[in-house]
Amino acid sequence: MSVQYTPVIWNRNKMFYDAVLLIAIALYLYVFIRVAPGFEDVTKPIDGAILRMRAFGSCAFLMLTIILCIGPLARLDRRFLPLLYNRRHFGVMTAGIAAVHANYVLGWYFSFSPTDKYVALLSSNTSYGQLLGFPFESFGIAALLILFVLAATSHDFWLSFLGAPIWKALHMFIYAAYAFVVLHVALGALQGPADPIFTSVVAASVILVSGLHFATGRMEARRERGNETAKASLQQEGWLVAGEVDDIDDDCAKVVTLSDDERVAIFKYEGKLSAITNACAHQNGPLGEGKVLWGCITCPWHGYQYNLADGRAPEPFTEKISTYRLKLIGSTILLDPNALPPGTHVEPVEIGAAA
Amino acid sequence: MSWKQTKDAPFFVGYLNAVPKPLVTFVGVFALCFVAGLGLAALALSSTQNDPGNGSYQWGNRYENVGILELRPYPVLRVPSDSETPARTYMLTGNGKRGAFDQAETNQDTSVTLRGVPVKRGDLTMIQVGRVEPVEGEVSGFTPAEPVSLGRWKLAGEICDGKCYAGAMRPGRGLAHKACADLCLTGGIPPVFVSAGPVENRNFFLMADKDGNLLGDEIKPLLALFIEVEGEVEQLDDLMVFKVDLATARILK
Repeated sequence: MSVQYTPVIWNRNKMFYDAVLLIAIALYLYVFIRVAPGFEDVTKPIDGAILRMRAFGSCAFLMLTIILCIGPLARLDRRFLPLLYNRRHFGVMTAGIAAVHANYVLGWYFSFSPTDKYVALLSSNTSYGQLLGFPFESFGIAALLILFVLAATSHDFWLSFLGAPIWKALHMFIYAAYAFVVLHVALGALQGPADPIFTSVVAASVILVSGLHFATGRMEARRERGNETAKASLQQEGWLVAGEVDDIDDDCAKVVTLSDDERVAIFKYEGKLSAITNACAHQNGPLGEGKVLWGCITCPWHGYQYNLADGRAPEPFTEKISTYRLKLIGSTILLDPNALPPGTHVEPVEIGAAA
Repeated sequence: MSWKQTKDAPFFVGYLNAVPKPLVTFVGVFALCFVAGLGLAALALSSTQNDPGNGSYQWGNRYENVGILELRPYPVLRVPSDSETPARTYMLTGNGKRGAFDQAETNQDTSVTLRGVPVKRGDLTMIQVGRVEPVEGEVSGFTPAEPVSLGRWKLAGEICDGKCYAGAMRPGRGLAHKACADLCLTGGIPPVFVSAGPVENRNFFLMADKDGNLLGDEIKPLLALFIEVEGEVEQLDDLMVFKVDLATARILK
């Protein structure tokens, strides 16, 4: 949360996150370029430029694989949420590493020629009609362009400027980038002489990313059915039965699904109940999986906060989200499914005061 | 089935320096595994790369010889025999991804002193031309031999650019190198057929079309792929020339 745009609002967790990332990347490149060649069984060393382009290319591929695993991992096990917090730095570094890979390719395979290297990149292999021998570089270019756009728009300025739905949709192109990278590798490096280790790493990466997303999808679908209390319950004069008070821990929420794209988080705190939309105004984070800290709903993704009664971020912040009306009959919570305009004050329901 | 947040579960808020202890342990272990995993991946991926062969520039063994420049159809230097070696024919290339057509066309069928750097892989040698100087008068008593036909052959192998494959790049073949090979051939570097099986104990062949002329864009879809193609093989001193009939070419994999 910020009232002004600064390049990065550093804190200890971000510094730790970035330090671990930089150490891991540096170690990967050092081992690949400096240490491992000592163990190679080769007649003469691989060209330095080719070794470096392979090091940076494979590093970017593995980084992108890990980035795509963080989301589903955090859904499957909340202990991975800290990895999500600063994931955009991970993405920006990946774009940088991929750019260095591309620069080595341009400076080696497409240089030393009378043809301009950028012209050569696009014109030297135009066998688009065949699978074997397809200009796999084009997939790499497409992936790199996507990574650049995502890195350039990763700052909260762009999130605010574009709005969360468009920004989220734009950043879903990371999956297209990964698909392009996999095709780039599959039609390029994997078509070389047999390399079982590299082939296994690529295959395992693709299976890991796909498998985690599949497992998360199944889990979400099961959870969705569990959350559909309101949809399936009896209606009472336009109110939906949302569950029992005892279902909710103090300072925590219960999520109720109204439709595929509308979920409500009902929070219990200080003997009261309040309902707000489940989607954070920042990046649509699941507010109902957050907690009440210092009297505010706190998003589990990036810690954005909102007042419970009116869905407004505490001053001086300006974000606001939709609120909902609640009432209690005994210990049963009833929810008015009509969302109120973002920031509308709704008097919290006192649990002790129920009829 | 529904997951729900609980009061006792550790809750991470990124901008708070105080991170719940169970999460510190979990993230710490993950960070160690992440760093170590990437290091091991680098070791495994890099140390098991395929052998690019023994091709390389022979910078310490500069080439200088007198011979006759010919276009067959790519530039070659015909060198007379001496007391130790029989007559030889060297493929020629320019600097970078450039051929040596300018020098060869200017001095075609004339005697020259040619200086350059050999690029050598096994018995495939290509000379990167440095300086070419016409020799006054003929090379005494040397008339380059005419090519000897070794008949029609069907060979399986890969079309490479002769310079990168000879050692200008390591590795200098395969699909990852296809665009580079394409650029080299466009620049005038002779295409070389690397055969899976030998002809007269030779696996490298300077390529020409079936009439002995330069190959054009028609070989590009076949470049860097494992193919099968028929054609006439000729021997030019120690150099094999494969005059390919591209109509018979077939991609094997």
